[in-house]
Amino acid sequence: MAWITKPSGTMKIERRAEPYLTAEMRRDLSERYLPRYERKMGALLPALHMVQHAYGWVPFQAMEEIAAFLEISAAEVYDTASFYEEYWLKPKGRHLVSVCRSIACEFCGQTEITEAVKAALGIDVGETTDDGEFTLIELECLGSCGGAPAILIDEVLHESVTPGQIPELLAKARAESNGHGHGHGHH
Amino acid sequence: MWQPKINAPVLTKRIPTPPYGNMRDRHVVSYDEYIKTGGYVGLRKALSMKPDDVTEEVKKSQLRGRGGAGFPTGLKWTFLPKVEEGKDPGMRYLAINADESEPGTFKDRLLMDFDPHLMLEGIAIACYACRLKKAYIFIRGEYHHQAKVLENALKEAYEHGIFGNKGLLNGASNWSVDCYVHRGAGAYICGEETALLEGLEGKRGWPRIKPPFPALKGLFGKPTIINNVETLAHLPSIIENGWEWFSKQGCNSTIGGPPSWGTKLMGMSGHVNQPGCYEFDLGIPLRTFVEQYCGGMRNGKKFKAAIPGGVSMGILGTDQYDAELDFDIGRKHNVLGLGTACPTVFDEDTDMVAVARNIARFFKHESCGQCTPCREGSGWLYQLLGRIEEGNAKTKDLDLALEIATSMGSMPGTTICGLADGNNWAVRTIMNKFRPEFEARVRPTFVPVRVTVGAGAKG
Repeated sequence: MAWITKPSGTMKIERRAEPYLTAEMRRDLSERYLPRYERKMGALLPALHMVQHAYGWVPFQAMEEIAAFLEISAAEVYDTASFYEEYWLKPKGRHLVSVCRSIACEFCGQTEITEAVKAALGIDVGETTDDGEFTLIELECLGSCGGAPAILIDEVLHESVTPGQIPELLAKARAESNGHGHGHGHH
Repeated sequence: MWQPKINAPVLTKRIPTPPYGNMRDRHVVSYDEYIKTGGYVGLRKALSMKPDDVTEEVKKSQLRGRGGAGFPTGLKWTFLPKVEEGKDPGMRYLAINADESEPGTFKDRLLMDFDPHLMLEGIAIACYACRLKKAYIFIRGEYHHQAKVLENALKEAYEHGIFGNKGLLNGASNWSVDCYVHRGAGAYICGEETALLEGLEGKRGWPRIKPPFPALKGLFGKPTIINNVETLAHLPSIIENGWEWFSKQGCNSTIGGPPSWGTKLMGMSGHVNQPGCYEFDLGIPLRTFVEQYCGGMRNGKKFKAAIPGGVSMGILGTDQYDAELDFDIGRKHNVLGLGTACPTVFDEDTDMVAVARNIARFFKHESCGQCTPCREGSGWLYQLLGRIEEGNAKTKDLDLALEIATSMGSMPGTTICGLADGNNWAVRTIMNKFRPEFEARVRPTFVPVRVTVGAGAKG
């Protein structure tokens, strides 16, 4: 978690004219979150969650915008954003498939679940499908040990899954994005 | 033969749980249902008492923190700076630790899934007793559903004047409290109390050096109490029924330590027929839990080992199946402690080297990187255990692994927080209690010895 290094010497930040931190997000932060905390920086995790939720990742430009909004340095935002795993510093697929690999899950059949997802999507752990629909990761305990093995597809938890259920669960997630067309992901 | 002391569930009163109810009947308890079933009675009673008397009641109940360390809750509260009656103590905070991330643990989740008002009532009681003005529920990022349930329950609680500027319980007290949900973002270390405070302040979750302790200088430098979800959920019934009632549940220490009174949420996982989260008196033997309440071992297999409550606690060996799940367990059975009392059980087919490797990988992944012994040691241990599992290690690597574990975790003062200790206890107890399995996986180390035989040899 703490081991991300950046190519400082050669790094260029990609920019776009339209801000990532929309007027609506700024209003929500000002009205709902800032009054909660003694210092503005307290609202940093909620702000990063907003950006992560809207775009599927946290671009550097968004970090600069958040920094300006909370009156802290961009380095402080980057420091926090790079520490927490839920914030993606690179674009990912529209859907995130997270397979739990912790103790109860691994010893109740997690490896078969990971293999089933890999086979269904044709990618390895840590990769994104060519159509940008799915990213597959393994993560530590989802707090679902009584329902091992467990996987989290986007924000929905599935417990006691079997390899046979995987194609159906993935198809359901795919159908959802076709139906609503909401703008996660980057493609 | 172990017998329960309670005849009705306490924490799971509204959450149907075997043997008292059917898990299929579980549903989110709304404010109305909570009130109809005796909710917020404990808070009402607390508000009729002096704040210090509430603290005294909790102290007498000897309620021990349910987050893993078992520290007495009432005692923790008394570390706050004293407040003279009628004087404004200034800003003081409550941080609720709902960052349940320890592998094997899934108990706080049960309360947040189904009966969120029980914890909210506990929060209100704690804030009243300790004169705290704001409460933040720090919930782990992966608990999406639970965060929504909580937000909803908070909305109801505000609408009915539990929280908000009118004063607790719609003005029943002039002490007003605000309560918020603060979502974490996928970092196990934020369950450490000072790392949690850093996360609340918007910083990376690096544990702070203590002292100063949070009760004096915590969130934003103000006095702060950090309590676990389940600990807070115990408060309403303790205040309503008194500490003597609480002391009749659970068990006393058999080795002269402080008692393990009260019930405990216990999440069973692993190779049993009916895993899930249950509520029992503290002191239930692991064997009874598995055989009597979880339908026995899966596929008729034999018990081999169990983690008592979260991977950092170490392992109970095959001969420790009868271990009682109470706060004495650490000293009696050579594990770090009871932890969260959520056992993960392994059957006879389990490869203990793989178990050690899995746990070492977890700690390597979750080490925050602040202290060198933990950051480097956790990675090194994981590499070594990986080599042992693959059959590419030598006998001396076993000693090396034990030495790394011991030097990163058992020696006091090597690291700021307890993560390295957890790593050490897990790896060391597995290697010691299942040594032959590890030895069978390594190749002998050949030590070249120069021996001169014959006339040149010296006696």
